[in-house]
Amino acid sequence: MSAHPAILSEDQRDCYQELTNVAMGQAADRLARLLDAYVVLPIPRISVIESSELNMALQDAGNDSSVSAVCQGFIGSGIAGEAMLMFNDTSFASLAKLMQYTGPLDKHAELELLMDTASILIGACIHGIGEQLEIHFNQGHPVVLGQHCDMNDLLKHGNNGWDRTLAIEIHYTIEHANIECELLLLFTEESVKTLNKKIDFLLD
Amino acid sequence: MSQGQIEITDIHWLMDILQNIDVGLVVLDTDYNIHLWNAFMDSHSGISPQVAKGQNLFDLFSEVPEDWFRNKAEPVFQLKTRTFTIWEQRPYLFKFRNSRPITGRTEFMYQNTSIIPLESPDKRVNHICVIIYDVTDTAVGRLDINQAQETLTEIQSQDALTGLLNRTSWLPVLENLCSKEAQHAEPSSLLIIDLDHFRDLNRELGHDKGDEILKRLGAALQTLGGETHGARLGGELFGLILKGKDATQAVSTAERLRRSIATLNKGSTTLISASIGVAGWHPSVTSAIEWLSCADKALYHSKESGKNRTTLYQHKQPD
Amino acid sequence: MTLNVLICDDSSFARKQMARALPPEWTVDVHFAGDGVEGVAAIKEGKADVMFLDLTMPNLDGYGVLEAIRREDLPTMVIVVSGDIQPDAQDRVKALGAMAFIKKPIDADKARTVLAEYGILTEA
Repeated sequence: MSAHPAILSEDQRDCYQELTNVAMGQAADRLARLLDAYVVLPIPRISVIESSELNMALQDAGNDSSVSAVCQGFIGSGIAGEAMLMFNDTSFASLAKLMQYTGPLDKHAELELLMDTASILIGACIHGIGEQLEIHFNQGHPVVLGQHCDMNDLLKHGNNGWDRTLAIEIHYTIEHANIECELLLLFTEESVKTLNKKIDFLLD
Repeated sequence: MSQGQIEITDIHWLMDILQNIDVGLVVLDTDYNIHLWNAFMDSHSGISPQVAKGQNLFDLFSEVPEDWFRNKAEPVFQLKTRTFTIWEQRPYLFKFRNSRPITGRTEFMYQNTSIIPLESPDKRVNHICVIIYDVTDTAVGRLDINQAQETLTEIQSQDALTGLLNRTSWLPVLENLCSKEAQHAEPSSLLIIDLDHFRDLNRELGHDKGDEILKRLGAALQTLGGETHGARLGGELFGLILKGKDATQAVSTAERLRRSIATLNKGSTTLISASIGVAGWHPSVTSAIEWLSCADKALYHSKESGKNRTTLYQHKQPD
Repeated sequence: MTLNVLICDDSSFARKQMARALPPEWTVDVHFAGDGVEGVAAIKEGKADVMFLDLTMPNLDGYGVLEAIRREDLPTMVIVVSGDIQPDAQDRVKALGAMAFIKKPIDADKARTVLAEYGILTEA
């Protein structure tokens, strides 16, 4: 796809990274308060990925083959995208403990944990990015992509209707607990132009 | 509204829209008392806004699990964030009966809900709005697909006639037992059963009766007692894994089975018999295919030496 | 003597944002550092009477810089400006000797409030 011009300049990439930094910090703060634990913040990864690379991006994200994931769409001011939260299946036992979840840790209980965490992390992160760009994002309903599935089966292969777009990846870990999750924000190809304009305005 | 002043007609419009929109809207305060109850909620619950307003949600609807719902709603009050529940977590928040006698195929309405903060002028969230979406069609579609997938997997792994496993799905079971560790935990043995003169039987009695006999044999394999895994490997050839039985015990089970096969004719004059090959496990056996070939050789021996008998495969002893 | 102010952040956007948030009437020399290693070097060069320090940075992060300042007894007043606003993070940097903590995103009001609170603005 070399025919496309690079859709992100270095300044823009830096700006996205900083906005994400702030937003994911706000999200981590909420999660930390909920779990009463410290969330280790990484440097978020901002990249332009091609649709064929989406699965590869996910592969990088998780080392474990068995994962559970939810997806949630967001839209506002002509900018749309989807957020995906993916957990290593090994994380649930610790998560249940930190959330003081009593009762058997079956598939249903894990779904509750997944949804509660997703509500907080996705909601706060989207809100945080939106706030800095002065966009109010509306969130759609979360969709369960799968529980205990192979990473390869998580996403249906097919034409997603886009070639290359902006991806933001955040890898959260909880200190002193065996919990790891990956938050991926993917914007639609059409949104990137509008987003970049907003970013340029901030950079000015 | 452009003058920054809301016209009375606008409010009427908005109220009309809220009333008629095809989603449920409920406004609650911090004590979970109901402040708004739209027509969707009225229609499906049979409780009018006049009755609902001012009542406590948990008193009015005992099906709403208080702890669970508070858990989802508290962050909305405290963090001003939205929360969501989906039907996969809990099929419904409010138990509304199915209202469509023709196209509705479920007992109740599946629901997704969004809980959104409503900010007061003092910037505090004293009220939340619960939005209820009817997702019955989506849920039913998904459940149908899951069911279809399960059935498909079952069909793919089974022999249609006997209901036993087929060769493809049975081999991995055998493969899993092909190790020192597995055999150390519990010995297991393998039987291969072949009906004698089955082609003649089919010609004599007709294929219907032949199939009937195969079905009865399949059923006989499942009623031997102990943990067994039977499969129809093709035609009149069957495989049977006996868990917890060494070669000697397996031979006596095989003999018992051979005698019961003679009764599969259900009192008719047709003589039914089977030849059986038995193979215990041996450290030289490292795969299901090798194990199968041992039992196969024993079966061949039974056939060659006059049929209607059981042969135990003798593993070569290391020198 | 004009006060030297160091802004240490790996993001050039964040450095700009910080510089813009400084009170316009505050006459200071502003210096920049792109990571913790550069930051520590700049302090040693005397470019950091006051330092605005980010936490999440490559090479040497903000915690590492605070440790170095304490270990080598470097002369600077540190105001941490971070997106990591967890209570734990705030406690940790205070324990490591940071004077104040500002939550990102930074704006002129937040900067002025903190500078005034610690008497830095009036001194200048």
